[in-house]
Amino acid sequence: MSLLEIEGLDLAIHGTPILKDVSMQLEAGRILGIIGESGSGKSMTALAVMQLLPEGATARGTVRLNGHDMLALPEAKLCALRGNEVGMVFQEPMTALNPIQPIGRQVAETILVHESVSRREAMARAREALNRCELPEERFPMSRYPHELSGGQRQRVVIAMAIALRPKLLIADEPTTALDVTTQAEVLRLLKRLVQEDGMGLMLITHDLAVVSDMADEIVIMREGEIVEAGPCPGIFSTMSHPYSLGLLEASDHQPERSAATAEAPLLEVREVIRDYPLPRRALWGERDHFRAVDGVSFEIRRGESLGLVGESGCGKSTLTRAILGLEAVQGGEILLGGAPVFSGKRPNRAVRRKMHVVFQDPYGSFNPRWKVGPLVAEPFHLMDTPPYGEARDAAISEALESVGLSAEDAEKYIHEFSGGQRQRIAIARALIIKPELIILDEAVSALDVSIRAQILDLLADLGKRFGLTFLFISHDLSVVRNVTDRCMVMKSGRIVEEGETAEIFEAPQHDYTKELIAAVPQLPEARRA
Amino acid sequence: MRASRNLWLGGLLTAVFSLAAVISFAWVPYDVTKLDIGAKLLSPSWAHPLGTDHFGRDILSMIMVGARTSIAVAIVAVGIGIVLGVPLGLAAAARKGSLMDEVIMRGNDLIFAFPSLLIAIMITAVFGASAVNAIIAIGIFNIPVFARLVRGAALSLWTRDYVLAARVSGKGPVRISAEHILPNVTNLLIVQGTIQFSLGILAEAALSYVGLGAQPPLPSWGRMLADAQTMFSFKPHLAIFPGLAILLTVLGLNLMGDGLRDLLDPRLRRAQR
Repeated sequence: MSLLEIEGLDLAIHGTPILKDVSMQLEAGRILGIIGESGSGKSMTALAVMQLLPEGATARGTVRLNGHDMLALPEAKLCALRGNEVGMVFQEPMTALNPIQPIGRQVAETILVHESVSRREAMARAREALNRCELPEERFPMSRYPHELSGGQRQRVVIAMAIALRPKLLIADEPTTALDVTTQAEVLRLLKRLVQEDGMGLMLITHDLAVVSDMADEIVIMREGEIVEAGPCPGIFSTMSHPYSLGLLEASDHQPERSAATAEAPLLEVREVIRDYPLPRRALWGERDHFRAVDGVSFEIRRGESLGLVGESGCGKSTLTRAILGLEAVQGGEILLGGAPVFSGKRPNRAVRRKMHVVFQDPYGSFNPRWKVGPLVAEPFHLMDTPPYGEARDAAISEALESVGLSAEDAEKYIHEFSGGQRQRIAIARALIIKPELIILDEAVSALDVSIRAQILDLLADLGKRFGLTFLFISHDLSVVRNVTDRCMVMKSGRIVEEGETAEIFEAPQHDYTKELIAAVPQLPEARRA
Repeated sequence: MRASRNLWLGGLLTAVFSLAAVISFAWVPYDVTKLDIGAKLLSPSWAHPLGTDHFGRDILSMIMVGARTSIAVAIVAVGIGIVLGVPLGLAAAARKGSLMDEVIMRGNDLIFAFPSLLIAIMITAVFGASAVNAIIAIGIFNIPVFARLVRGAALSLWTRDYVLAARVSGKGPVRISAEHILPNVTNLLIVQGTIQFSLGILAEAALSYVGLGAQPPLPSWGRMLADAQTMFSFKPHLAIFPGLAILLTVLGLNLMGDGLRDLLDPRLRRAQR
């Protein structure tokens, strides 16, 4: 008998079918990878196992966990099982912990809920769980609060909570999506070790094929509530036959066609830029300390070039972006676009800013929800001295929308009527409308599903060719940068540690940090290349 | 989006009193400025549904005209709070941490630090008791409420990417506040406005109870209570009906405010189900 057996599971919420005939099995001590894009039903499958379904959901079929029929058990029995036999790890470690409780108590809490043990014993076992999750006592006493930990450390606390009672099944729903690559590699290693030590089953849900390909014993690929392909890993990568899974495989390592027409003349010149933030005073009259977020950064982008800037969170890449955009003054050095300073005197230079625009990461936060798409796209016209109005303005909006593959009628809609990928197209249309020369892409594809990401990358490459655009591609995701840039820089603690041709950097990294970053990127097995 | 029971009940109560105030402009059962000593202190009857006071005035008519005073005072007082408080809050948020932010917010603290009713009494005592002075006194205390509310909400909106995009497009803080921040705090303003409205009605009743609100012969709910005080033991209806009017209006507005919040705040919408 398998640890987890799902057979013919159908799920509908208020009559809308969500899952159709889903079947899978997981043995103890094995890892099952569930892959799918948003809306594929992968998280709903996990919630169905836990029976934590939203209101109005009706499930049919069988979900058998360690012999219990989960669909038939009463709520009280389910509560006893959750946390005890099944543990769960969520995507966002920032919100999965209670910010006002120390980590020790939070881990002990799970033990106290399920077993009648003394608080002292629960704390001792919580300590042990934290130790097992590589949070040693010397550096991470139980009295630490979540805000004192980094994202990866918080995710370890969440994992400690999930495994404190040594559950038979651990469900991890996108456990590393919010983390940096090097942290992701550590957390995945930790999960793998725990599976081996405890002999528990791990259901690893992710949108990233590469993440599971290193880890999983079995892989299930889902789309729109159905399983399209399933099989043992890594064998499945050579036997894959469904067009969707093949498309997914292609998209996760997508290489858009780009033209290599770069001029010699530099478009953007960044020289010895320093950006300091004042820290709060320690004493009332004390000297004010500064945090140097960007420390003497110099580089240039040639016209028509695509330059990548790679770094993990907190390395100063966002601060640098803001300085280039002329949103904040720099404390040293200068930034020139087309030979003119971005920030002259105390005010940003309008004539220069007109030549660049930006696309942000979050397709949901980038638009005022109370505006229609037309005015949103037309917003950068504010930078023009004589912005077009009336018909000329409408024509410009239509043109921008059509150039990103949307239609002119979309200008009359509100932003909530669009999906994430469409919103990112609108963000690109907004950046294009003033016909800039430089477009800064600040993690512009990081929040998108792989297939949508491939489409957006193609679109950017196409627009680059058509309008002769120059791109500054800022990302933490090395695989994306690798496929779309000519040159690439690696940033750490406010400094550029390595710079060079993208291909060279990836094949022969010089700096230790670059080597570490590249090694941490999960790789798809070679089999698929055949 | 489904309107809750609170919203319906609150809206109904508010509508009833607003309607009474509007009708009173065109028609009241009896003229409230005419005294009829022969009909004084009558208990509720068909001729006088809520009875008469010690001058023989009809209580129902007085409550209808009094609603007018209450609502007018509250509308203008909330208006003062919004018109002055919202720009102050937006300005403070746009220049967070600057001297202007400090001056605005410490000024707010200063107003908050005084007991509002006491200052209102002081203002009316210095400048004379009248409905206008009561409005100004109540309105001043609405300013920091709205300024704080707007500043808090605006601060979180200023970190959104769409504000960053607007800054990249060269828009200044005034324009961004007007175009991006203000439209996204209106929900909060509607909810808080409703609550402040009910507090305004209470404050007006309290001021006129001590004789510092609307002056005779204009009827007001607070003064009706004050007049009824000495006769409460043998003619309780004199106090009960104006008291009920205040209670139900304030309750209605509060319920409506709660209901609107449930309806307009998407964060609560899920939890409500």
